[in-house]
Amino acid sequence: MQLEEILYKHFGHRSFRPGQKEVIERLVDGKDVIALLPTGMGKSLCYQLPGYLFNAPVLIVSPLLSLMQDQVTQMKLLGEKRVIALNSFLNQQQKQYALNYLHQYRFIFISPEMLLQQQVKERLKQLKLSLIVVDEAHCISQWGFDFRPDYLRIGELFDYENRSPILALSATATNKVLGDIKSYLKMNNPFQYIHSVDRPNLHLSKRLFQHHEDKVEWIINHVLETEGPGIIYTQSRTKAESISNLLLNVGISVASYHAGKETLDRQFIQQQFLEGTIKWIVATNAFGMGVHKDNVRQIIHHTIPSNIANYMQEIGRAGRDGNDALAILLYAEGDEHFAKMLATDDLPSEHHVHLYENYRLRNENPHNMFQNEEISETAFRVLDYWMNQETSAFVLQRLNKMRIDKMQDVNEMMKFVQTEDCMRKVLVQYFGQPLESRPNNCCEVCGIQYDQIINQRQIEEIPIENNSWKKRIESILIGN
Amino acid sequence: MIFQTLVLKLLQEFNGERTVSAVYHLLRGKRSGQTIQDVGIFRLHDFFGLLPKLNRKIFDDQINLLKDHQYINILPDNRYKLTVSGLSRLKNTVKLSFDGWHYRGNEHIFFARLSLIVQTLSHQRKGDMKFIPIQQNEVVQHWVKNFLKSNQFDNGQFQETLLEEIVSSLEQLTNDDREKTIVVKRLGGMKQPGFTWQQISLHENLTEMDVQLLYIACLHSWIDEITSIEGKYPLLSKIAHQVRIELPLTDSANQTAQLFKKGYSIDEISIIRKLKTSTIEDHIVELAMNDRNFPYQNFLNEKDVQNVLNAIENYQTKQLKILREVVPNLSYFQLRLVLARGD
Repeated sequence: MQLEEILYKHFGHRSFRPGQKEVIERLVDGKDVIALLPTGMGKSLCYQLPGYLFNAPVLIVSPLLSLMQDQVTQMKLLGEKRVIALNSFLNQQQKQYALNYLHQYRFIFISPEMLLQQQVKERLKQLKLSLIVVDEAHCISQWGFDFRPDYLRIGELFDYENRSPILALSATATNKVLGDIKSYLKMNNPFQYIHSVDRPNLHLSKRLFQHHEDKVEWIINHVLETEGPGIIYTQSRTKAESISNLLLNVGISVASYHAGKETLDRQFIQQQFLEGTIKWIVATNAFGMGVHKDNVRQIIHHTIPSNIANYMQEIGRAGRDGNDALAILLYAEGDEHFAKMLATDDLPSEHHVHLYENYRLRNENPHNMFQNEEISETAFRVLDYWMNQETSAFVLQRLNKMRIDKMQDVNEMMKFVQTEDCMRKVLVQYFGQPLESRPNNCCEVCGIQYDQIINQRQIEEIPIENNSWKKRIESILIGN
Repeated sequence: MIFQTLVLKLLQEFNGERTVSAVYHLLRGKRSGQTIQDVGIFRLHDFFGLLPKLNRKIFDDQINLLKDHQYINILPDNRYKLTVSGLSRLKNTVKLSFDGWHYRGNEHIFFARLSLIVQTLSHQRKGDMKFIPIQQNEVVQHWVKNFLKSNQFDNGQFQETLLEEIVSSLEQLTNDDREKTIVVKRLGGMKQPGFTWQQISLHENLTEMDVQLLYIACLHSWIDEITSIEGKYPLLSKIAHQVRIELPLTDSANQTAQLFKKGYSIDEISIIRKLKTSTIEDHIVELAMNDRNFPYQNFLNEKDVQNVLNAIENYQTKQLKILREVVPNLSYFQLRLVLARGD
């Protein structure tokens, strides 16, 4: 069958988006592939379609539980039932069942932690896989913005004769990261598909302020005058709450979103945002994954992200429908200090290294550090990995280096804030790519007029539900 | 304000005889001998485990606020007593229909099941079964799938039947309409998403915490109603299956209770279960609190009981240390048994 036929049959599309076909064809030929495709450009299709070509499971290594859960939900929504997520959410019984029937699944999602469990490793060895996918492959590099030490072990695991082809996927990666992906995954002269990171329909603005508080005031005025839907990114839960409350008070339909929200609330917010009853979301970087909304028109950064890759990913959530969208970066003097604090916050400290040593001396499992709330989960993962690789003196050096790198990332971000050159050019060059052309209203430096990109706000009443509880439940269950 | 009243009320009940942490542990439903015992001594069953996820900082903030308002006065050892204005603050407050002892957070399981069922039915009625389940917990998803299948949810009348049960059971409740509205706003269906706590808090002009407390109170009385008479609400009572805790003992206490009922002594049980006698005593006290027919005469005679009750009355205290001084011939364990009777 032609690839196009399969595409239509299983996904309902008549044609491929740029890059997809090239990637799939190489995989069919048995070649390793690295594909860099911006978010929203149909990355997952690159491994989903091959699932229907081959008669063996596709294994997808995915770093984040929430991302994995979302990918599985999306596939089930498309009617695919032979899909499983192997992660810590499964209890022993469920896990055993899944492992026994692993060969019957078409798509197997797995977390790196799970991949390294002896029981799982052995089962995977017996299994014939058609394709090994490493999603968010930049996590393998400590130069990447989201380093996961467990990713380093993926390469060792699949280092044998006649292994299935590996597909490494990421949205954005610098050349340094690209090199790490190739070498750590021990890829065999891979085919590279690198999509331009430039999104011509995204227009880049920045605003500089004297005082921190001025930014919130500006946001309120801006949101009162211009049309969403939009996302306002800020650095903390408390900030997300307070900004959203200020906006609620001036009659904007807005919700706050962060990791502290319970799951049901998150579902309601996503639904309401999709349907348009909520126009704005004030979020920490927890918001984005699993939000499939095409017509986001504005992204406002209340604070600078801790690195350019994060910024890229966050503004990439606007304008997925291809229409114009606006990204506004706000900066007030001194913001970088906070960004640096936040960026290095999750790194293990010197104190943690000594603590880890003490646990060892006491013959106590260092994992208890995390249980005793002496260290965050992410920090522990990094610390634990390196403490098992090298002496603590080296670990200390390494952590110091990581800290400096993270600070350097913020400095890069600052250069972008302060540049007097075209913002688009700086951004694209950061990823080692040339800028091919500039759209109208390119960026703040090239000249930008908001009213040519976004609309004026149409004032509409927020529909307050006055229905009695009886009416509401009746209308939900049997319609009115 | 509701949360504030709640904390204030609990401090009053403890009468300065416990630290603020006792209130915190009680609300979180801590399964320790001390907390369980406090429930019995101070008759606080309704409040046990109301907020299993209560954050310590939020709790401490509230204590500080009560101090700032001078509703409470500090006593030694982080204990507090209500001031006159604290006492008057407590008057004229609405009593909420909590039943923590029998739910301990399980009401959220009931609601999770119900909300996924309602969402599914809403989509089914409109002929669009492709949706993202509002409940991500796979245990709940699995449960709901089985429930819907085994009850022929697609027979065309299912929505009406469930609606009828929901409306008539909620109508039976004496709770405020406001509470019922909050509960129903947390339900959603096709093209009708539910409302977030932040949104409801804005609609009702209450803090998110207070909205959640009203919601919990309403769920407790709702499930009480649903499970009160067998067969009255066939569908809802299935959804509430095993949500209400009918035998509110900890697992371990339950094992001890089984042996105790077979006639083993505390020392024997301690050997059989390889646990300290003090632990077994905790279990026996827990059992005494929950079993109206507990055989007190095994441990105490009527005269001893009367002596303790008199001491409580005369000294206005339930502190074991003081009671021990007044009735020195009884052990702490015996004193606790008397307190467990709660009369």
